[in-house]
Amino acid sequence: MSTLAVATLHQALRKSFATLESNQKVWKSVLAECSPLMVSLGNLAEQSRALSNVQISNTPLRVFPDLEERLRFKLLEATDIVLGKLNEKMSSLQSARDAISNQVAAILHLYEQNTHSLDLLAVTERSTTTPSVADMLEWLQDAERHYRQQYPFLSSVLDVYVIFWYFFPLTLVFRFLRRKTLLQTLRADDLSLLESAPQRWNSLESPSAEDHITDTLCKVSFFVESQ
Amino acid sequence: MEPLRLLSVDPSDRGSQRCRLGPGMMSALGVHLGSPLLVSVPGGSCLCTAWPRADLAEGFLQMDLKCFSPSLLSQLPSHLSLDPAQVSPVICSKLKGVRITVIVQSVNFRKRTPHRLVHELVKDMLKGVCVHDGFVINLEDFDTEIKYVVIESISPESDSAGFITSKTAVEIAGIQTLRHYRSQLQDRHTVQLGGLEEVSASLREMLKLPLLYPSTLSSLGVSCPRGVLLVGPPGVGKTLLVRQVVGEVGACLVVVRGPEVVGARPGESEEALRAVFERARSAADEGPCVLFLDELDSLCPRRTSSSAPENRLVAQLLTLMDGMNQSDRFLIVGATNRPDSLDPALRRPGRFDREVIIGAPTLQQRKAILSVLCERMPVCPSVNLTELAQTTTGYVGADLSALCREAAMHAIREDSKCSGEQLVSMKHFHEALKSVRPSCLRSSMGRTELSPVTWEQIGGLDDVKLKLSQSIEWPMAHPEAFVRLGLCRPRGVLLYGPPGCAKTTLVKAAATSSNCAFLSVSGADLYSPYVGDSEKALAQLFHQARACAPSILFLDEIDSLIGSRSHSQTPNSVQTRLLSVLLNEMDGIGLKTHERRGTEKILQAEGVEESHTPEQLDCQEVCNKDVMVVAATNRPDCLDSALLRPGRLDHIIYVPPPDQEARLAVLKVCTKCMPVGADVRLEDLAAKTELFSGADLENLCKEAALLALLDGNMEASDIKHTHFLRSLSKMSSSLTEQQINKYETPPR
Repeated sequence: MSTLAVATLHQALRKSFATLESNQKVWKSVLAECSPLMVSLGNLAEQSRALSNVQISNTPLRVFPDLEERLRFKLLEATDIVLGKLNEKMSSLQSARDAISNQVAAILHLYEQNTHSLDLLAVTERSTTTPSVADMLEWLQDAERHYRQQYPFLSSVLDVYVIFWYFFPLTLVFRFLRRKTLLQTLRADDLSLLESAPQRWNSLESPSAEDHITDTLCKVSFFVESQ
Repeated sequence: MEPLRLLSVDPSDRGSQRCRLGPGMMSALGVHLGSPLLVSVPGGSCLCTAWPRADLAEGFLQMDLKCFSPSLLSQLPSHLSLDPAQVSPVICSKLKGVRITVIVQSVNFRKRTPHRLVHELVKDMLKGVCVHDGFVINLEDFDTEIKYVVIESISPESDSAGFITSKTAVEIAGIQTLRHYRSQLQDRHTVQLGGLEEVSASLREMLKLPLLYPSTLSSLGVSCPRGVLLVGPPGVGKTLLVRQVVGEVGACLVVVRGPEVVGARPGESEEALRAVFERARSAADEGPCVLFLDELDSLCPRRTSSSAPENRLVAQLLTLMDGMNQSDRFLIVGATNRPDSLDPALRRPGRFDREVIIGAPTLQQRKAILSVLCERMPVCPSVNLTELAQTTTGYVGADLSALCREAAMHAIREDSKCSGEQLVSMKHFHEALKSVRPSCLRSSMGRTELSPVTWEQIGGLDDVKLKLSQSIEWPMAHPEAFVRLGLCRPRGVLLYGPPGCAKTTLVKAAATSSNCAFLSVSGADLYSPYVGDSEKALAQLFHQARACAPSILFLDEIDSLIGSRSHSQTPNSVQTRLLSVLLNEMDGIGLKTHERRGTEKILQAEGVEESHTPEQLDCQEVCNKDVMVVAATNRPDCLDSALLRPGRLDHIIYVPPPDQEARLAVLKVCTKCMPVGADVRLEDLAAKTELFSGADLENLCKEAALLALLDGNMEASDIKHTHFLRSLSKMSSSLTEQQINKYETPPR
């Protein structure tokens, strides 16, 4: 009875670790794609700030009509596009995270169902090639928690853009209506937040935590391969 | 089972809500991986999920504090031993819904983040967490602005704990900042305050009304008062009162101490003040808030004509207080003990709408304060708080707490000598009373240390003693009888009579027998070379005497101190001006507002106070709220007639020279501590000393003793009758028949 349950669990665990591995790759690649976007976002913010600092009427450029408004519109449009792309990336990050979460939830559910046939001895038994069920469940939980912690962490960096979205919906008509509101709400401190965004983004990438996941995958490599 | 050692959590477990146990312990509890456990530690409890230790060792417990009771927020337990019985499994089902309060780090985040985003983030963070009703969930491991979540209620309500799944509905009841939440947690246990119930009720009402009935107030079109000025002598508990009320209401307190905001550079102080108001404003967004300006007189003194830097600070405060609009829902409380030195512009409705005067505590209040103070002390049951309250006239709250501390110190000192039970008894309080004096009299010029004199130390004069005790002691001892008959205590007593007839000693005895504060003043205290100084000193003296009422103000030799308008050659001399001050103080038109005693009821919404039947202590307050002036003179004809009318010096008591019987009594008192020979016949001496005053008789006894010493070459053991006779032959009486006849005609 116990061995059967352990075998079932082992099979599910193998599947879970495979999912974890593939999603880790997805996560890493998406993050890598985000970095240049963040840099261009910071650039755009810097340009906006420069635009608010300069008095166009005091420069030779004053002959161009509505130059400031036009420039600002262009910048906002560019920001809008970058943010749109970032949002897409965020949703693919979210789907990777959800895939891991669902997998872990499923395996915990499976364990719960089999608790009556699994005593603690069976759960904590480990060998040289096979870590114990408890250990593996723990690692999976840890990995899931890591991605869950990363996600709101990332989206908190994007907070300021979420506020941005609030006043700046994608539809063009609406944008024209609300442009004034946005210009009033985007004060200098918001710009500085936007400017610092690339640095904040980079600081979030914690190599040690990611390495932890890689470590886990190494630890279970024998187990995963021993079909 | 052996006790479990509680170790600090492993870093890799942080945020996992795991509770690491040995597998043996887990099987003993009958739990499997991930089963919820409730661990109770000293000061609170923690909900976590069971997991075997990686090394499978028994006897240790490591838990991640993810979900715990709020009391563990401030101090997290470490290195404890736990009884295995303190770990118990709980049944957790999937929850349908939770109602939460979100605790965030900064005010900015709270204000600017859309509610929708917070909801989304929190829901995501809470997924898979096992929660308990009323517990706090730690979300710090996510490293966002959202730090904690408080579980207000869970659904279904029959459960006390449960899992949050992705299907659980999360309802956010409110968002608070961490600082506000922590201050609320702290303020739950504050000090108790005695005797200030009425003031604190009115303060509480002002804080709560706009929060409880905002719509009612706006529909009535009234604005709730936004500023309160607390006025009272130092030590009555103004600062403590504010802290206590703030703690009770759960409001946030922003304190400004006058000297703290004053900076060296120009403009710095104003900036600091603006920053304080900004802080109060942001704190008020989350709940009731009190901005407390302590020692307001130093912050906001009367503006002078010169361009002093204080003027700008005062102007800044005034504009800030005016700039407050109804949406700024915080209350400004100022406290001062020198209301007269405040800028008058500050004391108008719109700035400080209300002025609450906290006077020196009355008898009832003192009793309440003492009972609060003694609550925490191991006090002997024999300690009579009413009696203590009666003897501590003029003591303010700070004095009373010093008194209790001193009494406790006496008890400890005694205890260290002989190890017995540590109980503070009445004896210790009496000891402490000797060293702790009322602070309102500390700088007073009239304060006198009396050597206690009992009535028995004065021979004869029985009817004078009776009259004196009638006017001084009776109102203290039998207030209910005075109230019943509609009597009030006399304002003043004048003792007149020939010199040396124990007028001063009588007053001393009266002061000793009543537990009044006793102030005495002489010409040296009052007279000063500056015009107006003497009058001010006398007025100040009355002020202090009133502050610690009931009190006795003794004016000896009043004829020389205070002149008479009719007899005086120079109509505008100092004496006449002093006289006018005295007349005014004794029977003037009223008191200054900040001299009020106790507090009157100023409630707006609490309804009518039920009138309670007058008790004895209340009667005592009614009768004894005034200063009693006792004057003594031997030239009553020199006094101004206005001073002698009823209402000022009501009782005019003639202290006659002793008659034969009285002289005998005086002689007996004088020779009490002298070894008098068996042949001495005091009755004989009394008969021979016609027209001798009490002082003369005392002198006679001294002379006789000296003669005895002279005769016996310093070895005389007793005084013989002959010594008395010899000293009598050398003396003549200091009084004359004519003098006495003059006194016999009453002065008015």
